Amino acid sequence: MKTEIVTLRINGHQEDVLVRQGQSLLSVLRDTLGMTGTKINCREAECGVCSVEMDGRVVNSCLVDARMAQGSDIVTIEGVQEAEGLDILQQCFVRHGAVQCGYCIPGMIMAARGLLRENPRPTREEIRQGLSGVLCRCTGYQKIVDAVEDAAGTLVQTREGAI
Amino acid sequence: MTVHKRRIVGNRLPRIDATSKVTGAIVYGADYARNGMIHGAILRSPHPHARIRNIDAREALAAPGVFCVVTAADIPSERFGSFVKDIDVFAKEVVRYKGHPVAAVGARTREEAEAALPLIRVEYEELPVVATVEEAMADDARLVHEEWESYEANATLVRRGNIANHTRLTVGDADAAFAGAWRVFEHSFRTNLQHPGYTEPRAAVAEWDQDRLTVWSSTQTPFEQQSTLAAIFRIPASNVRVSVPAIGGAFGGKLRIGVEHVAAALARKARRPAKVMLTLEEEIATGYCRQPAHIRLKLGVDRDLRIVAKAGRMLVDCGAMSGSGVGVASSGLLMLAGPYVIPNLAIEGFAVYTNKAPTGSFRAPSGPQGNFACESQMDMVARELGVDPLEFRLKNIVRDGDKGPTGQEMGTVSVEECLLKAAEAIGWDKPVVEPGRGRGIACGWWTMTGQSSNVFVKVNPDGRVVVNSGCAEIGSGAITGAMQVLAEELGVDLEDITVVNADTASTPFDFGAQGSRTASMVGNACADAVRNLAAKAFPVAAQIMGVTADSCSFGYKAIVSGNQSVPLAQVAASLQSGAGGLIAEGSYIQPGTPFDKDRTSGMVIPVVNSPSYHAHAVDLTVDEETGEVTINKYVVAQDVGFAINPTYIEGQIEGGVIQAIGQTMYEEIVWENGEVRNGNLTDYKMPTAEDAPEVVSILVERAGLTGPYGAKGVGEPPVIEPPATLANAVHDASGVRVTDLPITPEKIALGRVRGN
Repeated sequence: MKTEIVTLRINGHQEDVLVRQGQSLLSVLRDTLGMTGTKINCREAECGVCSVEMDGRVVNSCLVDARMAQGSDIVTIEGVQEAEGLDILQQCFVRHGAVQCGYCIPGMIMAARGLLRENPRPTREEIRQGLSGVLCRCTGYQKIVDAVEDAAGTLVQTREGAI
Repeated sequence: MTVHKRRIVGNRLPRIDATSKVTGAIVYGADYARNGMIHGAILRSPHPHARIRNIDAREALAAPGVFCVVTAADIPSERFGSFVKDIDVFAKEVVRYKGHPVAAVGARTREEAEAALPLIRVEYEELPVVATVEEAMADDARLVHEEWESYEANATLVRRGNIANHTRLTVGDADAAFAGAWRVFEHSFRTNLQHPGYTEPRAAVAEWDQDRLTVWSSTQTPFEQQSTLAAIFRIPASNVRVSVPAIGGAFGGKLRIGVEHVAAALARKARRPAKVMLTLEEEIATGYCRQPAHIRLKLGVDRDLRIVAKAGRMLVDCGAMSGSGVGVASSGLLMLAGPYVIPNLAIEGFAVYTNKAPTGSFRAPSGPQGNFACESQMDMVARELGVDPLEFRLKNIVRDGDKGPTGQEMGTVSVEECLLKAAEAIGWDKPVVEPGRGRGIACGWWTMTGQSSNVFVKVNPDGRVVVNSGCAEIGSGAITGAMQVLAEELGVDLEDITVVNADTASTPFDFGAQGSRTASMVGNACADAVRNLAAKAFPVAAQIMGVTADSCSFGYKAIVSGNQSVPLAQVAASLQSGAGGLIAEGSYIQPGTPFDKDRTSGMVIPVVNSPSYHAHAVDLTVDEETGEVTINKYVVAQDVGFAINPTYIEGQIEGGVIQAIGQTMYEEIVWENGEVRNGNLTDYKMPTAEDAPEVVSILVERAGLTGPYGAKGVGEPPVIEPPATLANAVHDASGVRVTDLPITPEKIALGRVRGN
């Protein structure tokens, strides 16, 4: 089986990984590096539980050929938490009861980060659109939307407070 | 149980596993790995019904990375199953559905295992296919299981040929009542095959140490897996350890063994740990889905609009293995009768084998099927009679002191309150003015699975608490609810409690995370443990305080007597050095519900245990041209008995309604001639955040008799009423009555053209 070494920057750390031909970024994260915070399900970019940030964009890591990620900056759920504890989005997911089984939550949080970067003041409708790429079967999404709405408000306030 | 202090229960506290879930730290079954682990892939039958002539695995064994191939020849036992032993690990002589496991490959990587699958040469002789329940029920039907008579089965079942269970619910004389009725109505309904849709695929890792097997899997029922695996591999159950990592959703789809036995067979043959995780295509084609049902219902009413008789028939399509279908054909009769007082009943059910994938116990098994028929019919009859559907229901609903369909005594009944609250919230008495807009309402009841839950509770010398519970957390938050009961009773904070759960080697028996039982049953076991802890701790505390033990009670992190107190930590430390620790067990066994056996035949679920009651109402708009439905408001009034944690109860309601909107409006696994036509997430569409309306939850608290503080079962009920509620509102809005699920825009538009 053809292999090659690919260099990635994952959550700020450089990783040189031996990648098999056709191996996905998701498989590199989970199987090669043992970083199972990023989840696996459909493997065809329909469910979104494998969402990560690649060079600032939210991608379905199941469909990213790991060799195409050479030199990329990757942020996974394991890189979201801040030194002093949970980040605002994580805190809001906990506070609003937005977590049930939790399997989609890493993907949801990555999608929500991407959404809030592009649109810091989303309406509930825009939050629903922004999260529509990640399937959740437990929550009905309502408390997830509550959490993201609260996080957006808090982040805007913090930013304005800082100015 | 004390009810005056409400420091922890009834409060919106964050669940105990929330932080480890938002950081990605928690490990799910699908994440689990062992050193030196190989990966399995399953070879499945390409035919819906065929005889296996020969299996040649030589080429596959020579393929790169392959460690082993397993087939039926590697499985020591014959068949297993909960009600009927009709399931095999791998097909031995006959494959009975497209997707039936025939062999499995264990290889270094999942890709290598998959690549070797087509190299296994299997010769099949195709057999005629029993594709539908109608075909299966025909007098000259081909048998799905030719040897059905030789299968071991539950003694209550009534079996014959392709019928795995024929159930009957008979009260009074329905024929005579219909003859004397003022009006009689007959309707037919069909429901659809829905996948539970959990986001974590089924996965298991197995490892052997000589004749000792350990399995890590995201199962809802580790103790059932333990005994099933022991039977399959013919080893003592004590040699099997089943441990449950976090579960990524289950909804009943992870109750029965799914991949654990295949992982164990591979690990046994390869002498290495083995992991099996299903692909999404395998999940959709072979998941334990909700049984489709064909239902006929006949209802007779008198001039006072009272129901005098109900008769009906429910055909439950089990697929190739009976699974939970025999139970669905039992509780389904109670759902068809509905929460109404009906003096004459003649309802029967048939759990039927067909050459399709086996089905399962998806959240409120039989609830949505039975309620869709019952509550659609109530609406249809009311409209034909020209009376308000709400009034027609209120005239006939069950109330305190009434008897249930099988003669059980009904108490703490709240269906009237639920109906009135849902109606008020949706504005039932206000006229609808916009064209294309309408409202619907439906009510129902549901049972709570009982059996036993047990815990060990240990108070550490630092005053913190460790609980060993055999019950898994499937995601609902029910274990957090149970721990709120413990924290309340013991006088500690929720953060003080660590739970070790669902490991057959280290936790006491629990009947499993199923049937809306977890918070109540584990909560009751915790309350029992607190009583036993008191028996150990109070004498020590009393001695320290110089009082009598019977004057002591648990205060906040302390044992108190009058105005004196001693820290719980001090008592625990003292007991650790002097008497082996402050540790106690707690048990709860749900008493059975008495019923009239003469009314039932074949009903393995004959009563509505610890019933919960609920009503749903919706306001929606149907697009006049496209038939597209927009939900303007969705309201649920659910009697939860006592809301242990309102946040997560709302979460169950919101999530359940959206899941059931999926069943009602979008989702159907389509089988044609023994094959799935839409085996991917593009063609099998589940609701996304954009599709989901907001849900208004009204928590009704009419204390029940079983759960802690009067709590009733919460998790399953929210999926029961949406199909009927939405169907009734679609009719109100568009004039089109859809009686077969899902209710798609095409069916509505077509119904309008046909002048339905």
